[in-house]
Amino acid sequence: MHEATLAMAIVEQVVEAASPHQVTRISEIEIDVGVLKQVVCESLLLAFEACAAGTLAEGAVLKINEIPPVAACQECGKEFTPDLAELSFVCPGCGKASVTLIGGDEILLRSMTCEQNDAPAATVAPRKET
Amino acid sequence: MMKVQVVQNVLKANDAVAAANRRILGEAKLLALNLMSSPGSGKTTLLEKTIPMLGSACPSAVLVGDLQTTRDAERLSSIATDVVQINTGTGCHLSATQVAEALTGLDLGRLGFLFIENVGNMVCPADFDLGEHRKVVLLSVPEGDDKVAKYYTLFQRADIILLTKVELLSVLDFRIDRVQDDLAKLNTRAPFIQLSAKTGQGMDQWITWLHQQRAAVR
Repeated sequence: MHEATLAMAIVEQVVEAASPHQVTRISEIEIDVGVLKQVVCESLLLAFEACAAGTLAEGAVLKINEIPPVAACQECGKEFTPDLAELSFVCPGCGKASVTLIGGDEILLRSMTCEQNDAPAATVAPRKET
Repeated sequence: MMKVQVVQNVLKANDAVAAANRRILGEAKLLALNLMSSPGSGKTTLLEKTIPMLGSACPSAVLVGDLQTTRDAERLSSIATDVVQINTGTGCHLSATQVAEALTGLDLGRLGFLFIENVGNMVCPADFDLGEHRKVVLLSVPEGDDKVAKYYTLFQRADIILLTKVELLSVLDFRIDRVQDDLAKLNTRAPFIQLSAKTGQGMDQWITWLHQQRAAVR
């Protein structure tokens, strides 16, 4: 799934997020990748290395958390884990395969660890996207 | 060293434009459909037959995505109220931004339907929201009865699944029950219609569904 596009977006977003913090280098980036996005992690790592060259993210470790699927049945509301080995999204409660995906369908930039100019270490309060 | 919590959708750029498209299309009170399938499944032929059947009271526009050529747009130009050809070059799917740009050239207020014929590809289009109301997935008989399982993410997200070129069932080894078994596990929400643009089989069911969906979003 378009690992190069994802890699470019990750680099752009971490550089933008770093801009208020006098960052000299980004050492680690943590992302959540839902398994339903079918991202090939090896390809993403290679693409990221290439896209990060020459930026604050050059040399950063890209830590990928693979997020398992979670479905909410649209018929009875039950939340369950689809059985991807069986390609089954059948609800164990009502037997229908009519779901809203509430997990495993995301690609989320979770956090980054940065080195700064000489300044006291600080923890930035979480900023959630609205 | 410090850790910055970002918590941001990596695909936010496309998704934000898709959300804006969805708002614009909602205000226009038309039904926008994203047609997705492999190349050659019959998307353009289906539209050639569908649009006249929808009637002049429900004019249709089409956005056609292809890597190259304007052939599909030329086929549809005398049938649809408006046709916009989007050539993606090497892009293997349409993006929300491409759709947004195309929408600026349309008089949305006088349309009943907007058909977005995506690039022929069973993988990437499933992952890129364009702002459509409904996802239409086509599978044609010559492609084989194992494609639902092989490309399950596309079929799992479909709002309707059309088996096209069913006039060929008598000459090809295609087991509809295999497709139905796979769909029973993946997606029972989407109606499954067997149709032939050539013979007309199933077209009435498809047209009825389109009108019902349009009424639902108005």
